[in-house]
Amino acid sequence: MIASDLLDTPVHDDAGAHLGWVVDLRFVLDGRPSTYLAGARLHGLVVSPRTRTSFLGFERSDVRHPWPVAPLLRWLHRGTFLVHWPDVARVPGADDDTDRGRDPVVVLRAGYVRYEPGL
Amino acid sequence: MRRTRTGPRDLSREPEPQQPGRILDARLHLLDRQVLDIDDLPVCTLDDLELEVAGGEPADRVPAEDGRIDGSVPVVISALLTGPVLGTRVFGGRPPASRWYRLPWAHVSDVGTVVHLSVRSAGLDATWLERWTRDHVVGRIPGGTHDPEGSG
Repeated sequence: MIASDLLDTPVHDDAGAHLGWVVDLRFVLDGRPSTYLAGARLHGLVVSPRTRTSFLGFERSDVRHPWPVAPLLRWLHRGTFLVHWPDVARVPGADDDTDRGRDPVVVLRAGYVRYEPGL
Repeated sequence: MRRTRTGPRDLSREPEPQQPGRILDARLHLLDRQVLDIDDLPVCTLDDLELEVAGGEPADRVPAEDGRIDGSVPVVISALLTGPVLGTRVFGGRPPASRWYRLPWAHVSDVGTVVHLSVRSAGLDATWLERWTRDHVVGRIPGGTHDPEGSG
């Protein structure tokens, strides 16, 4: 699996309701220790209910300027949330778009939790 | 409702717990960044990330029946990928796996405005075209093997 398999992919809940799109993948460097950096564990997916992509991550930071760009982008991405990787029930495979009847979507488990996406 | 610098808090979202390590968002901190080797020579741009199941997990935590990875197993970045993505970014799709050049995550020494590697670019597959051009094109031009800075 590569990151592009997940990015921009529609996200559905367990009942099939559309929740948004994967706009980013969040990693935490707490994996196997190495000489320089620890392993980068996939911690969760950043999901935007309104846009397919994110621009400079204004909705995930405290950056307020330049005005009005920052407030506008934060407003465009309002409702963005982070869902932890264990709450993901299914991810698209490499052959999903050619597999009839199986759209490339990310499906979340029942009872998944929305977290604030701030860095 | 408590107000912060980022505006009113959305009560439908739980506060994110503190994580034990540095946090990196793929698009925000990694993708499309320039990759430099240990001598600060440019290697490539980071086009994608290869993800795989973390090693050393208990045997009962395996991918789903069809081999598909899901949230039941921990996933880590195994390698940075670079390759011919211009066409696929314009027209869609993805390059075949054989066209990607892998830079193992273990070679990454720092992530900032650029991604630093702990190895020299001369030993990487990702820079074969630059070496081939140097040896077969630039090197055949009269004076092409002369290093003006090196000879003083």
